[in-house]
Amino acid sequence: MRRQSPSTFIFIASLIFVLALFLGLLSGAVDIHPSKLLGLFSLSNMDMDHRILQTIRLPRVLLAALAGACLASCGAVMQGLFRNPLADPSLIGVSSGASVGASCVIFFGGASLVGSGVGLPAITIGAFIGGLMATSVVYRLATSVAGTSVSTMLLAGIAITALAGATTSLFSFFADNEMLRRISLWQMGNLDGADWPRVATLALVVVPLMLVLPREGQALNGMLLGESEARHLGVAVERLKRRLILLTALGVGVAVAVSGVVAFVGLIVPHLVRLLIGPDHRYLIPGSAILGAALLLLADTAARTLMSPAELPTGVLTALLGAPFFIGLLLQQRQKRVG
Amino acid sequence: MLEARQLSLSISEFALLQNIDLQINPGKVTAILGPNGAGKTSLLRLLTGESLPSSGEVIFNGAPLSQWQPKQRAKILSVLPQGSQLNFPFTAREVVMMGRIPHATGLIKDTEIVDAALNAVGGSYLDKRFYTQMSGGEKQRVQLARVLAQIWEADVSGDRFLILDEPTSAFDLAHQQLTLKIVRDFACQGVGVLMVIHDLNLAAGCADQLVMLNCGQIAAQGTPEAVLTTEMIQNVFNVEASIGVHPKTGAPLVIV
Repeated sequence: MRRQSPSTFIFIASLIFVLALFLGLLSGAVDIHPSKLLGLFSLSNMDMDHRILQTIRLPRVLLAALAGACLASCGAVMQGLFRNPLADPSLIGVSSGASVGASCVIFFGGASLVGSGVGLPAITIGAFIGGLMATSVVYRLATSVAGTSVSTMLLAGIAITALAGATTSLFSFFADNEMLRRISLWQMGNLDGADWPRVATLALVVVPLMLVLPREGQALNGMLLGESEARHLGVAVERLKRRLILLTALGVGVAVAVSGVVAFVGLIVPHLVRLLIGPDHRYLIPGSAILGAALLLLADTAARTLMSPAELPTGVLTALLGAPFFIGLLLQQRQKRVG
Repeated sequence: MLEARQLSLSISEFALLQNIDLQINPGKVTAILGPNGAGKTSLLRLLTGESLPSSGEVIFNGAPLSQWQPKQRAKILSVLPQGSQLNFPFTAREVVMMGRIPHATGLIKDTEIVDAALNAVGGSYLDKRFYTQMSGGEKQRVQLARVLAQIWEADVSGDRFLILDEPTSAFDLAHQQLTLKIVRDFACQGVGVLMVIHDLNLAAGCADQLVMLNCGQIAAQGTPEAVLTTEMIQNVFNVEASIGVHPKTGAPLVIV
């Protein structure tokens, strides 16, 4: 594939993002006329469409955009850190740990806890804690006096994911029907619980992340050469690894906590962006963030409208669309190598 | 100056290196020779701060190597490790440009240096080609250009050093000669060069100082004439060789 210039790509991706944003706001179980958007933030105007926009649509599209940007840029960072274009944020155990946290809360009387405290459901908090705990175990297993071994981390991630999967299954096994349904729904990845507190929580983490991650682009490029090469280029490798693992665990942890396990965004988007503009992380990270936001927005809009008024879980849709697309990419690349 | 003082390295009771004393001087080319497993790469790793010695120390431009700020050190110490793990589709230009990461000299200056470095290794034609689609020799040339670009110009931090681990392993005859010429050119500019090399004759033709490692110890150290003797090669490599004289350069010529 011929490379596009990064600025052209970011411009086009931003355009898609804006279009997706409008599409997401206007379509759903009730279609809203574009003219209604003008008075979106006026408090006096209280007709039905405006209330839908303010309390349902706007938080939902923002949540989708933030989660998409977060997952995709963290995916780009992970792939660089692991020097593996097939790495995924779930590799470090975040998603599976979050599943354990969420199902634990659901199992031990989640229903009674909903809405407690700061207005975030206890499930979200449980998922976040679970994700961070799993990541810290993986990180500690892979870290010795000699530094963090990226390949050990990969293996530890697989082991912890298996362990967490078994624990989640155990919860499901002993759960009653209603709990079981909620556990599976959560695991499918769903944005339907979007509200302003969730948007605020996610924004609080994602916005600083978007400012910090691209700055590490040049150092990550050096990491792709190999760890010793990066060290000889003056990169403080151990510190960089520690910081990036922490940041991505935090980012993915929060994203998974508010939206469940939304599959494939963190894997495919950076992969696609790399094919289009090359592996330079200074452009790859912001490019992935924008395209990730746009694609998750579109997927979520589709999930809301395809079977309206019923909604499909967003994570199911991203996987259904993402997997064939990814296979297509792989086939195309292989064909090019042969031909 | 890059100096090893009484360096020893043991890993799980096994002594990889013992009491190495070595001086790499600016403007000189030093080549490390020795059989497989003699500790050549371990020595390079100690000298570049990649691993820490069990005892002894490395002095780099007047201060212990470990006390240098990574960024400051990277401006004047450039290292080409053996083999490369890069499997992302960067272009040759992007790879060489990474050599400029430690510097803040601006895009215009960096572009000039990258052009010159690619040209020096005979790789100008690789410019926009993808690293992942190159041959082994082409990859090695791009990596060489990268480490050259890193120390292309003198820096106020101190004398520059270039450390190469088997830089010619994937090269054909012409590129082996080209590499040695580049190494000499850099030495003429005052850069101290240290390289591990397997071909005794290449080493003899290019280096000012040879260091023969055997079983983790320095077996011999000095000019090519002093180090490359029949007895030494018999002792270290267990190979019977005759020593001739290169008809043009006068350097010793090892004939097996």
